[in-house]
Amino acid sequence: MKVRLLLALILFVTFAPLGLRAQGYSTQTSNAILIQNATILTITHGNIEHGSILIRDGKIAAVGTEVKASDGATVIDAQGQYVMPGIIDCHSHIAVDGSVNEGSISVSSMANIADVLNPDDISIYDDLSGGVTTANILHGSANPIGGQTIVIKLRWGKPASELPFQGALPGIKFALGENPKRSNFSPPPGVEPRYPATRMGVEETIREAFIEAREYKKQWDDYNRKKAAGDQNLLPPRRNEKLEPLVEVMEGKRYVHAHSYRADEILMLIRVANEFGFKVRTFQHVLEGYKIADEIAASGAGGSTFSDWWAYKMEAFDAIPYNAALMTERGVVVSVNSDDAEEARHLNQEAAKSMKYGGLSANDALKLVTLNPAIQLGIDNRVGSIEVGKDADLAIFNRDPLSVYAVVQKTLIDGQVYFDREKDIAARPALEKEKQDLLAKEKKASEEKKASEKPDANPEKKPDQKKKHPQNSEDNAGAVAEGGR
Amino acid sequence: MNKALRLRVARYQAVALLLLLLSTFPLWSQRAANLYAIKNAKIYTLAGPPIERGVVVIRDGKIAAVGTDIAVPEGAQVIDAAGLEVYPGMFDPVTQIGLNEVGEVSATVDTNELGDFNPELIAATAVNPASAHIPVTRASGITEVISAPGVGGFDSQSSGIIAGQASAFNLAGWTMEEMQINPSVAMVLNWPSIQTSSFDFSTLSMKEKPYEDAKKEYDKAVNQLSDWLTRARHYAQAKEKGSPDLFVRDLKLEALVPVVEGKLPVLVVADQARDIRNAIDFCTKQNIKMILASGAESWKVKDVLKEKKIPVVLGPSERLPEQEDTAYDKPMTQPSELNAAGIQFAFSSFGTSFSRRLPQYAGTAVGYGLSHDEALKAVMLNAAQIFGLADQLGTIESGKLANLIVTTGDPLEIQTEVRYLFIKGQLTSTDNRHKDLYQQYRKRPAPAR
Amino acid sequence: MRDRFKFRPVCAVVVGLSIAGLIGSVFSARGDRSGPPYFAVVNARIVTGSGPVIDRGTVVIAKGLIQAVGANLTVPPEAWVIDGKGLTVYPGLIDAGTDLGLPKEESSETTSTGPGRRRAAPSGEIAKSPEDRPGSSPWRVAADELKSDDKRIETWRNAGFTTTLSVPDGGIFPGQATVIDLAGDRSGDYVVKGMASLPISFKPIGAWWGFPDSLMGTIAYVRQVFDDSHWYAQAEPIYESNVTKFERLPYDRTERVIARGVRDNEIVLLPANNSVQIMRALRLADEWKIKAVLYGGQQGYQVAGAIAAKKMPVLVNLKWPERAKDADPDAEQTLRELRFRDRAPSSPAALAKAGVKIAFYSGGLSTPKDIFKNAKKAVDAGLPPDAALRAFTVDAAEILGLGDRMGSIAQGKIANLMVTDGDLFNEKTKVKHVFVDGRWFEVHEEPPAEKPGDHKADSAPSSQPKHSASEEGVGR
Repeated sequence: MKVRLLLALILFVTFAPLGLRAQGYSTQTSNAILIQNATILTITHGNIEHGSILIRDGKIAAVGTEVKASDGATVIDAQGQYVMPGIIDCHSHIAVDGSVNEGSISVSSMANIADVLNPDDISIYDDLSGGVTTANILHGSANPIGGQTIVIKLRWGKPASELPFQGALPGIKFALGENPKRSNFSPPPGVEPRYPATRMGVEETIREAFIEAREYKKQWDDYNRKKAAGDQNLLPPRRNEKLEPLVEVMEGKRYVHAHSYRADEILMLIRVANEFGFKVRTFQHVLEGYKIADEIAASGAGGSTFSDWWAYKMEAFDAIPYNAALMTERGVVVSVNSDDAEEARHLNQEAAKSMKYGGLSANDALKLVTLNPAIQLGIDNRVGSIEVGKDADLAIFNRDPLSVYAVVQKTLIDGQVYFDREKDIAARPALEKEKQDLLAKEKKASEEKKASEKPDANPEKKPDQKKKHPQNSEDNAGAVAEGGR
Repeated sequence: MNKALRLRVARYQAVALLLLLLSTFPLWSQRAANLYAIKNAKIYTLAGPPIERGVVVIRDGKIAAVGTDIAVPEGAQVIDAAGLEVYPGMFDPVTQIGLNEVGEVSATVDTNELGDFNPELIAATAVNPASAHIPVTRASGITEVISAPGVGGFDSQSSGIIAGQASAFNLAGWTMEEMQINPSVAMVLNWPSIQTSSFDFSTLSMKEKPYEDAKKEYDKAVNQLSDWLTRARHYAQAKEKGSPDLFVRDLKLEALVPVVEGKLPVLVVADQARDIRNAIDFCTKQNIKMILASGAESWKVKDVLKEKKIPVVLGPSERLPEQEDTAYDKPMTQPSELNAAGIQFAFSSFGTSFSRRLPQYAGTAVGYGLSHDEALKAVMLNAAQIFGLADQLGTIESGKLANLIVTTGDPLEIQTEVRYLFIKGQLTSTDNRHKDLYQQYRKRPAPAR
Repeated sequence: MRDRFKFRPVCAVVVGLSIAGLIGSVFSARGDRSGPPYFAVVNARIVTGSGPVIDRGTVVIAKGLIQAVGANLTVPPEAWVIDGKGLTVYPGLIDAGTDLGLPKEESSETTSTGPGRRRAAPSGEIAKSPEDRPGSSPWRVAADELKSDDKRIETWRNAGFTTTLSVPDGGIFPGQATVIDLAGDRSGDYVVKGMASLPISFKPIGAWWGFPDSLMGTIAYVRQVFDDSHWYAQAEPIYESNVTKFERLPYDRTERVIARGVRDNEIVLLPANNSVQIMRALRLADEWKIKAVLYGGQQGYQVAGAIAAKKMPVLVNLKWPERAKDADPDAEQTLRELRFRDRAPSSPAALAKAGVKIAFYSGGLSTPKDIFKNAKKAVDAGLPPDAALRAFTVDAAEILGLGDRMGSIAQGKIANLMVTDGDLFNEKTKVKHVFVDGRWFEVHEEPPAEKPGDHKADSAPSSQPKHSASEEGVGR
């Protein structure tokens, strides 16, 4: 009996995971996975040829050439393939329900991306296919102070509550320059333009909001102090959803991600941040960052930029593809981001461009989309490199990811395979069939409906017996059915 | 004279002769400026197998000779390309280079004229030879482009039905006269689509329209298009055979004459399968030559494209699929699919600032199944063939225009640099705005604390 | 001639009144209050909704309430008897979300961006902050704006609906929904519960230049309103007892009304149709600590367990998603849409199976015929018929907080009944009688546009026994 049970258990453990893998990506019973025989790009400890990674309970348990699988571990043979940390996209607008901008007012910090996460957005899957595992989902750039932002892991198939990156600090989006001042479009006739219309106004909007926030914090601190001291009859201040995130910024509990282009506006925000006692966490786009790289480095802010976008607006006209490399040279922590669901599918290629434009080494180029964005988002203790103890967020490529020819084979998050190219291809016929079947079913139903809606040859017109007429019923007034009296 | 004096005179004469010769040096370098020899290079001619170690001679703007046993001519500027590779320059056949400087600044944008039917407009008229995009783009190895009005791209909307004529030109020259390859290589036709939803600017939201109404508008547009071609035919006949007294010149119809005579192809911009089919139907009935541009759903209509021998100039292979249910990698695998089906195609960027991504688009397609050889052809040669310029461009063969790149390696790989750039047989600097700004700010001293 | 008229002493009065009443009942939407207040439906199959089905029983109605129901009842002598042989009595149906009886919304002129947009702010003013209270008029109560001449009231009633939740539309807080019974002399008669629930819409009304113009902005606005209401509830008593200590509180109608609603545990209706919206609404209901009910629920099949875990009731929109009639026939349909359209009708079954309390609402369906057709789709997709009936009756009443007084046929409950000649979900079934608050309505198959001669023919005793008056259940 016990032997049979043991046998059953062994069989189950051995075969069940294979069966489930064949079905879908995100279900796994075995919690141990071994990725073997790959070139491992650890980012922090060099590259390992013919190496293996053991994953247990969603974390990297071991990395090296001598790593062996425990019994029951699912084995992914990555012979000839490259494993790098899952790509982290520091500027993304995917997975948002509705508009990414609450652009109606100059300060929209009450709006929160976390309220509107959409786990069904196909862009999540698209980005997984490019090896992205974590994304910084940002509010748009319609206002000097925009809405609150959140870091998510691209756990495709899970509900919205399981997307947020646990433990990552929340953020807030600021925007400087042309977008918040709306220089590139005008409101429809009859509608008043929204403040601000100049870079001066952008600064003023931010300063005023923080002055208000300071005042708000003081009110609450006073109230709390008095209350703790036992004061009775205190009128509590109102809660203000707009100002609270700004208080959190000043208290260092919320990161500021500032969309910015021109060198002078970047310096402006550093000044303003200083005035209110906080640090900008990242400058986003920061296309002229190379002009003031030293100042940015000194401020401690990171720079999250494009690889080679330029000239689409005036403030992008001085953008250069050497931006990432030059800022890196001067000590800024730099990441390369997508700002676009499609661009996010090839951030490995975008990172590689900094080898050509500015001579970054291969590892430094990879850092632009792994460790550096992790540092910028304050999650480098969890992700961004392949090290024991970190989350098993990995991207497996068929060749060196810095090559234009590299194609993602698998993407894992917390040790679960969320994207598998082979499985995706294999699943296509079944999905197509399901679609055709549903279309045929609908077509049939609509044809049946049309047929039944044709006017009847014999309308169901029962004889007048069923008709009740008021006058008629008076004759029958007081009728008693059987069983009545 | 005595011996000593004769010796001194001879010395003075020698010096004078030397000085005379030296004074003609500028003439030497002028001649030398038109004559180059690239030696010790691995040469990918695209007209045969690569030459492991060979020489290319460039003279007066053309490729004079290419091969292994070629002597370096005297007076040639020699480039030792040991360790480097030589390729034909890349050709981006759908761009807005020169027509669009800064997307959001309308004063710098000349891509979209008002009105739906503008066949007489020619891109070359408005191309700015001093555009910053030109040096930036050629530094990445693109030596010639076609600029097309009204096609839309990253930072512009497509506009008009017949938007004008696309022009091919080299990415070097002081004026369009110097740059021009052919001012009219195709007539841009944005195929009208049945628009059931459109963006309403007064409410900044999507507005839905019933299909029947949208179909009527579409039919109307197609009928108008058909009318234009019909009138162009009449015009052609009137011009050729009619009485000069009764002839009234019409620039628009005149511009359409080469189209209806089958001499000028229409560059049809369409992405959805239905639009492509309708366009092909239309062009077949009208008996005009069609080139499909963008073609995101070409894979759905391979049979027709093959049958009618319609070449495809693909938009960026790095894009999202047209439909949610289409395979995630379809845009990247499509080139190899078309190739396998025997459909002629080329890569293009549809951009200005993104034109330098052309090799990246091709490289990505290789990653997803296209052969490397075919990819090279699709960025260097096929566009020339499609637009009737293959006699001048696309391969490294004697007699062709000397548009060449000498690279540090595989031109499709991201890290590869263009070391030497030849356009119209001139060694062209790869300096550009970006390099300049980089060098300038690299030199910025540390700020005072 | 069988003399069925038992009330000889008052027959003259009764006849006179009934002529008036009957004529009235044909042409007006009001019930016959001029008739006797006692009715008894006898010999009928009674589906009580609160116990086993009574195969042959009697329901006695008087003074607007069900006086008694059972198998062997004594019918009071005052009662006008309706022979229920071959008929079934159900509780009157409840449509848990309509705009029956409410005036049509006029869109505001200047910045109209679509139907049903209302601004609490004077028209033309654009909200620049939450304090401008965009799209907020929670003080509006549907009960105060009832238009009892809405023709649909009769249409719904003739189909067996006795009760609707009439919901104002337009804006984020459009106003409070009212439960009405579909009969009355004055509009006030209709109202069962005036401030029955507080519907919320998350549709951004700002259209880019007015706050809020995004879903997240709208949610943030609602959050702020709850914050403000909570503050007001705290602050008001403190201020009132210390008027010389504090600056006086500004008057903000929205926060006061919401504060009262929260205090009274008024049901808040949260929009939640697809699974993402449902999960979001569950989370927000927790965060805002409100007594919530979800409306929409059409992707309940995906998240039934999560809804059940929160014990959240759901009003299910019976207007199942379908392809737009004027859609592009070549347009690509996504697998996602196809799956949704295919599975939506199975949501009620999935929700019921998981133990979620559901009610149905017509959600834009324009005729009761469509309501039943779509309810049948839910039954065909696995919802047990008795569960479907509950969703129209007893569960709907309970969700709306009126389970103590309507939704089932039990003594003391409001006399809202429908009497049919067959099973409720059978297409061929006809409604014969409807009682609303004890008012009796006969349901005529066609509009009574008869020629004068017809009556006499009908009233001839030569009408076949099969269709004798006893079967017709005439009791007047």
